[in-house]
Amino acid sequence: MEFAIFFFFAAVAVIFALVVVLHRNPVVGALSLVASFFALAVMYVLLEAPFLAALQVIVYAGAIMVLFLFVIMLLNLQHVAEPVTRPIQQFLGYTTAAAFGVGLLYYIVKYAVFEKLPDGPFHADAHTIGITLFEAYVFPFEMVSILLLAAIVGALLLSGRTYQKREAT
Amino acid sequence: MPFDATDIGLSIVKIAIVLFMMLNITPIMVWVERRGSALIQDRPGPNRVGPFGLFQSFADALKFILKEDIVPARAHKWLYTLAPAFGLLPALTTIAVVPWGRSFKLPEKVWFGQRFFEGRPLFEPVVADVSAGILVVFALASLAVYGITIAGWSSNNKYSLFGAIRASAQMISYELSLTLAAVSVLLVAGSLRLTDVVWHQTGYFVLFDTVKIPAWNVFSPAMWISFIVFGVSAFAETNRLPFDFAEAEAELVAGYHTEYSSMKFALFFMAEYMAMGTMSALIATLYLGGWDIPWYNEPATWQGFVLSALFFLIKVVFLLFVFVWVRWTIPRLKYDILMKIGWKVFLPLAVLNTLVVAAFIAAGWI
Repeated sequence: MEFAIFFFFAAVAVIFALVVVLHRNPVVGALSLVASFFALAVMYVLLEAPFLAALQVIVYAGAIMVLFLFVIMLLNLQHVAEPVTRPIQQFLGYTTAAAFGVGLLYYIVKYAVFEKLPDGPFHADAHTIGITLFEAYVFPFEMVSILLLAAIVGALLLSGRTYQKREAT
Repeated sequence: MPFDATDIGLSIVKIAIVLFMMLNITPIMVWVERRGSALIQDRPGPNRVGPFGLFQSFADALKFILKEDIVPARAHKWLYTLAPAFGLLPALTTIAVVPWGRSFKLPEKVWFGQRFFEGRPLFEPVVADVSAGILVVFALASLAVYGITIAGWSSNNKYSLFGAIRASAQMISYELSLTLAAVSVLLVAGSLRLTDVVWHQTGYFVLFDTVKIPAWNVFSPAMWISFIVFGVSAFAETNRLPFDFAEAEAELVAGYHTEYSSMKFALFFMAEYMAMGTMSALIATLYLGGWDIPWYNEPATWQGFVLSALFFLIKVVFLLFVFVWVRWTIPRLKYDILMKIGWKVFLPLAVLNTLVVAAFIAAGWI
């Protein structure tokens, strides 16, 4: 039963990920990415981590992708034809992607450990994750928040034309 | 997972009950809305079809089914067709984690020569009692914006698109205050599980050592700000007046569903009322004590379950009426005021409230 669910949603995730890359319409691409994220959330549920699954949907599908869609709709990219790429660009793109894929496969085959996990209780609820995040990983956590703050300040600076005008007058 | 026939059977029963309630919210609420607006505006309202116009909704449904289903020539066909389904999905699923009655032990029964409920399993009246609890509600509710956005974009109409853009901006903004307001309730209950949140509210506050009031969050002074912010944000999240900028008849024809007709339009209608129902159930659970009956100890039997479920229903129905009441009392705000309230008033208030409640808990006052 669990196997059937896993393979169904794995297939959904992969197919929609492919649609994101291959489809011409950016809105369809964004929505396919949402579907892919949703299928990924099902994986977390199968791993008995409903907390992570809910966060995955809230953060990625519910917040980030909505903003993406918002921007795509505002820009109305539908009618913009893609500029023609040069052959050298295409060649470089394909070879880099292929090299990356081969490298990834190599490392997975070499280092992946195919073992059965111990049967003990697996804790991935809010309590455990919170304790781990704010004790063991408090420094990276704070660094990420500073990074995000820098991004917000940067965005404000780039878009804040009114502030510059006010200074000039 | 071991295969347990009793468990699966009970789940199917629970899902059937919840789905029945959710699907019947729309026709009943349409009637309440029309008669309620008539009452508030001092006119009779629809009173021809059936007693008190009760069958008006059936007439409406019949009309929707008989109308021609039009797809605009330049619309994105696939997404145009899928959008109403996207809208309906979160409205139907979020209710799954909300408990709607007191749990009780099933009595052992013999039906058709077969023994049922051996060992008296516990009947927990909630479809899915997951540990992530309320996060599941927020996760699925955050997908509600897609139905509106896709509908607006795919119909290839500028009014639809305006409605969709407004709706997505509004729903993202108010989702923050909604979630943050709920945090203080979860802090006090010490759990994300909604069943725990309800159990936490079953006791009493004792005022001046004499007056006993139910320990519902709405009666706790630390929760008032949270309750107000959550309540108002709930209106914004369900796109109801005074925040119905996604539709805004006066400005955008009908907003995101301008181009929709027939049953597709009806699905948007249903999604809106179901979202209202879910929001009411959520407010009742978080702040009004869920299924708790004031000044009464529900026994852990089926009678207690029925009584508590009835009380939960009464609370939800009252909140649904408040939704209607507010709609016909308060006019629509201006769009910039909506954004200003969302970001500059409610969000700081919600953050401040969370900090204060956390400090109270740390000091041991709650």
